[in-house]
Amino acid sequence: MKKERNIFGKILMVLTIVFFYMPIIFMVVFSFNESKSLTHFTGFSLRWYEAMLKNHGMMESLYVTIIIALLATIVSTFVGTITAIGLSKSKKVIRNLVTQINDFPMMNPEIVTAIGLMLLFITFKIERGFVTLLLAHIAFCIPYVMLSVMPKIRSLDPNLADAAMDLGATPWQALSKVIVPQIMPGIVSGALIAFTMSFDDFIISYFSTGGGVKNLSIMVYTMSKRVNPSINAISTLVVVLITIVLVLVNVVPMIQKRTPEKTSKNPWKKCVVGVLVVVLAFFGFTRFGSSIQNKPYEGQTLHIYNWGEYTGEEVLGMFEEMTGAKVVMDNFDSNEQMYIKVANGESYDILVPSDYMIQRLIQEDMLQKLDKSKIQSGLDQLNPDVLGLPYDPNNDYSVPYFWGTVGIVYDKTKVSLEDLKKDGFGIFLDEKYRGDIYLYDSERDSFMMALKDLGYSMNTSNEQELQAAYDWLVQSVQTMEPEIVTDEIIDNMAQGRKALGLVYSGDAAYIMSENENMGYYMPESGTNLWSDAMVIPKNAKNVDLAHEFINFMCTYEAAMDNSSYVGYTSPNLEVMDELSSEGGDYDGINAYVPRTGYEKDEVFEYNEVSRKIISDLWSRVKVVASNAE
Amino acid sequence: MRNFKQLAWPYIVWCAIMLLLPMLLIFAYSVMEQGNEIVHFQLTFDNYIRFFTDPDFLLILWRSLAIAIKTTIICLILGYPIAYFIANRSDKVRNILVLCITLPMWINMLVRTYAWIGLLSSDGIISYILGIFGFGDQELLYTETAVLIGMVYNFLPFMILQINTALCKMDKSLLEASADLGANKVQTFLRVVFPLSLSGVVSGITLVFLPAVSSFFIPKLLGGGQFFLIGNVIENQFITVGEWNFGSAISMIMAAVMMLLMMLVRKVDAKSGKED
Repeated sequence: MKKERNIFGKILMVLTIVFFYMPIIFMVVFSFNESKSLTHFTGFSLRWYEAMLKNHGMMESLYVTIIIALLATIVSTFVGTITAIGLSKSKKVIRNLVTQINDFPMMNPEIVTAIGLMLLFITFKIERGFVTLLLAHIAFCIPYVMLSVMPKIRSLDPNLADAAMDLGATPWQALSKVIVPQIMPGIVSGALIAFTMSFDDFIISYFSTGGGVKNLSIMVYTMSKRVNPSINAISTLVVVLITIVLVLVNVVPMIQKRTPEKTSKNPWKKCVVGVLVVVLAFFGFTRFGSSIQNKPYEGQTLHIYNWGEYTGEEVLGMFEEMTGAKVVMDNFDSNEQMYIKVANGESYDILVPSDYMIQRLIQEDMLQKLDKSKIQSGLDQLNPDVLGLPYDPNNDYSVPYFWGTVGIVYDKTKVSLEDLKKDGFGIFLDEKYRGDIYLYDSERDSFMMALKDLGYSMNTSNEQELQAAYDWLVQSVQTMEPEIVTDEIIDNMAQGRKALGLVYSGDAAYIMSENENMGYYMPESGTNLWSDAMVIPKNAKNVDLAHEFINFMCTYEAAMDNSSYVGYTSPNLEVMDELSSEGGDYDGINAYVPRTGYEKDEVFEYNEVSRKIISDLWSRVKVVASNAE
Repeated sequence: MRNFKQLAWPYIVWCAIMLLLPMLLIFAYSVMEQGNEIVHFQLTFDNYIRFFTDPDFLLILWRSLAIAIKTTIICLILGYPIAYFIANRSDKVRNILVLCITLPMWINMLVRTYAWIGLLSSDGIISYILGIFGFGDQELLYTETAVLIGMVYNFLPFMILQINTALCKMDKSLLEASADLGANKVQTFLRVVFPLSLSGVVSGITLVFLPAVSSFFIPKLLGGGQFFLIGNVIENQFITVGEWNFGSAISMIMAAVMMLLMMLVRKVDAKSGKED
């Protein structure tokens, strides 16, 4: 009988361990995969480690994570311990009050704490970045340290310190020589909890950072939409680092116990020193690789706020090489997200918003005029079709980055062209394809699709028309079981996971170049002819370098790398022609060359009234979609 | 000894600024008209009314609570036997097992959740294993099941560790006493062991339920863009829609609901403690 239960327990235990470690082993194994696939191991290679080391945003995020965790641990352990000792001598009322407030970060949902801190920083106009991130981490770590130190203090004899001072010790000596050694186990476990909490944190960091300062969690969150095995590589690195640290922490004291000689004075000190040495050696190795040369912008930094997955592999490196400046790039996945951040005082040197958003930014006086003399050589190389568009008729504020249309990507083996021609965007209401479609999480383009299918202008501000479009979208999400995605659509369609999806032409071009069964269709009801362009906001810190960057992005080399890697249409005429002509990367792919001159196609215009309605209705559509599951 | 009392003051000031003030700010925003300027303060409860009169938002709140409850129950059912098993090993084995369970928690949560995307995708390992048992061609990724797996994976260790701690603290001689008094194993478990481990169960439930309700990256990564929980609604209001007043109101509602539930759980705990 007893044996039987033991076996049951053992099996459960083994399964649990497998459950806990499967994802980790999976990550480690697939970080060595030769291909991009996350499901099929095709052969051993180190290419993702190479990609990781090249991607300095990734290495930087690891560095930020570790430094923040170390600093937050040191500060919060010190303050937490001191405060706990102080509180134990304070009045009961004060002690209870502090304990109650300390409970906030532990008893509140983390997102509430995070939003509170964000509001705090924004209300008092503190620029979010490394410092705010550190402050936030210290704020939520201290309560945990105190929680683990307090019980140890309570179990101390309250007269201990008095006794020490009666014997001639100063208060400081009483503290450091008598009290602290007594409560050391509590302090150490508090410090460990603080380190784990800080190292692991995502939600609070996500809301309290800015200026391109990212920790590992934020980096993974923003990169996770596309299949990117370098995430596995950097995760493996973290696993290795953590294992080394844990082995040091757990094994060193064990060895020292076995050899109880003079050395065992303070094993913890040694561990901490050991950990620091490992970490610093690691970063010394990775960070001081570059040599110092004389370049025009040496030591300066360019902050860019751009769409995710929207830059070529080499292009930023080329710019850094040329100017000596460092590029820090932050990503957004909608114009609205970008607007909120910038409107709240976040400072960038370059933004890459879309047409209507540029119009809004100009209207609200948030952009500065470009110095055309600095970018003339770049402008001359651009396609006249994307210059002088209604949102910025003389290109006083903006220089095109990519352009294209919105359309339907479809699996030619599952969807007939006749259906597409007959239905247009209405195919997203055709129950034949239920459960087989992707919608795109963009309020503007979702409403565009519905409005166009209903025969209205996509720039309407007529409330009835917008309401009709809302009903159209609700019908789609309620009857069609769509998945509402953003960049996830790219890899998923390239692997043929669904039959239909609403996409930007550039993503379609990439998908079609990866999977020849895929086609791109622009409905006859017309669609959105869009362009994204580089602008310099009023609060930019490095205007000269920003001009330099704009000019550089127009050049053949930069535009070529950018466009051929990402798949979006280049505003550089030569690059577009070369990539779409015979032998080019996007030869024969209709999505790459945008449809121009079609009368039913429109360009988005900004209108505050319709923006508010659309924004509100779209968040409602998503709520309805979620409830429809 | 009076000297040491002053040590607490800097933190009391810090506490007021970094912990108390943010909560007050959320509350202030939640009862303000549209707009983000504190200067033009105008009291309104529209944001709360808007939430409570909209069946869609209420349904989302309910679904978030439901999925958190499911997660908690699964964690409890799985976690208790595991914790019990660990607690009954020798010291050495126990330490190793506890380390085994703690170790993954050191590795970033986001990173571990990201790994599940590959495991759960339709041509991934899990589908393959299910295929062997005849449940072929299951679409797991971007479903509620995937979110549930992700949550259990992330939060189960908390449950195991809390219950394990409570079980280890238990005085083992109580078991002998119970046996001496004629109780069989099942009776001993139900009337001695389980009630004594209840404090661990309660703090385990707290540690699982709380993050499960408000999590927004697990649903986003494993549930896809159309899988919205209350945390996602809040994130969306702050990051994309930009209606901070409404977002603050939802945050306050969520915080209040959680606090009520936690108080309830603690009360049940205190009550059952008394009855024994």
